[in-house]
Amino acid sequence: MNELEPGTVEEITGKYVHVDVNGTTQRIYYEEAGPEDGIPLLCQHTAGCNNQEWRHLLTDEEITDEYRVIAYDLPFHGKSVPPTGREWWEEDYTLTADRFAATIVAIADALELEDPIYMGSSMGGNVTLELADWHPDRFRALIGLECGAYSPGFYIDWLDDPHVNTTEVNAYACWGLMAKQSPEQTRRETMYLYEQGATGVFKGDLYYYSVDHDYREKLGDIDATECPLYVVNGEYDYLTTPEDGTEVADGVGDGCVAVEMADIGHFPMSENPVLFNAYLTEILADIADERDGKLPEVLTPDDVGVELNRTEARAVPKETEEAE
Amino acid sequence: MTEAELASHEWWEQYKETVNSDPEMQVRGHDRFDENFYVELGDERFLVAMDGGQVSEVIPNPGLNQEWSFGVEGDREAWEEFVREVPPAFNHEIVASNYRTQVKGESGHLELTGNNRQIFQNLRPFQRALDLMRHTHNNGGNL
Repeated sequence: MNELEPGTVEEITGKYVHVDVNGTTQRIYYEEAGPEDGIPLLCQHTAGCNNQEWRHLLTDEEITDEYRVIAYDLPFHGKSVPPTGREWWEEDYTLTADRFAATIVAIADALELEDPIYMGSSMGGNVTLELADWHPDRFRALIGLECGAYSPGFYIDWLDDPHVNTTEVNAYACWGLMAKQSPEQTRRETMYLYEQGATGVFKGDLYYYSVDHDYREKLGDIDATECPLYVVNGEYDYLTTPEDGTEVADGVGDGCVAVEMADIGHFPMSENPVLFNAYLTEILADIADERDGKLPEVLTPDDVGVELNRTEARAVPKETEEAE
Repeated sequence: MTEAELASHEWWEQYKETVNSDPEMQVRGHDRFDENFYVELGDERFLVAMDGGQVSEVIPNPGLNQEWSFGVEGDREAWEEFVREVPPAFNHEIVASNYRTQVKGESGHLELTGNNRQIFQNLRPFQRALDLMRHTHNNGGNL
């Protein structure tokens, strides 16, 4: 990404909101950028990570001109410390579908968001199915990045083991989830963010991701005509492939659209933010009914005018552009 | 791109030089990476002997006199895909490849073998050592 001029101050603000989740008060950290009256775009990070994955979206003025982008840390992640009212250290951290979905809705409620678009990747993508099933009236649209009906095989004991350097292993177990054509700088940054997770939290999230989330027999329960559902999976995501996304869309039916993102992987917003933000612009235009024609089955870098392996950020603050 | 055929003697000599001059293998404790591993391409097996994050030697057809902790197996075609500068999806990294083999039951990908505890204890430098095969093959490139 481009280095910005020294003295550049980003427009992102960070705040804490206190949220009641199933009777427990959680102190939730979130960052936001964009107009207060913009369409809220609520962004969920991946398992074991935090809201910094969205930092490049939060500085993309083509999106924050119109959307109020809000990226939060789930409890136990990033700056959202564990709840003070519970002896949380006496039990393993384990995320369930019920708790995950309830937390997201509680955050939207606490921030009094009106008709927000929800977007999340990986476990944040999978949970769009629970949200679509249980809370379709709460959201304007749901964008499930790297979403599948079932994503087994990643609830791995070694990811929380006293004989293993989990800081490093939790990150680099994910290294291959990204496309090699994504810039090395942003892929390395994604792993760096992963290395900041607390012990046991990544594995606890993966309980939801690989065990508790299973919609293979329940896709028909979702009525996406109430709330449009976009299942948007990267070509290089070996956990939830574009084919898995198509199966979700076929199973849900009307109102659900599957789109493959070419040349990108499981962490699109942070592994290749230039390409992802351009892809996202197409999805957001579809939600706003501003596109000519349907979304294609596969979005490619050529479609969105992005040259692979470019290292520059698309979003350069206006002050910097003027200074040049 | 190196002119040498993948896994030829000359290729392994270049690989050894690549690993042994890699700065990443020296930081964050990776210079303690001492676990021998093998690479199996179809019917050919090579033992990569590690000593302090350096390749001390590469031994073809290792036998009872050698020891190793873990390895990677796959047909030559899968390895040829793995070392391409822009490898295709699912053969682009060892954990990715192993997942498609072991969890999804697909063929044509690489598979991890050996002691899982030792694999995870050494995951990053082991993974780095494998990625450096791509680096060797392309004289650089995006790892």
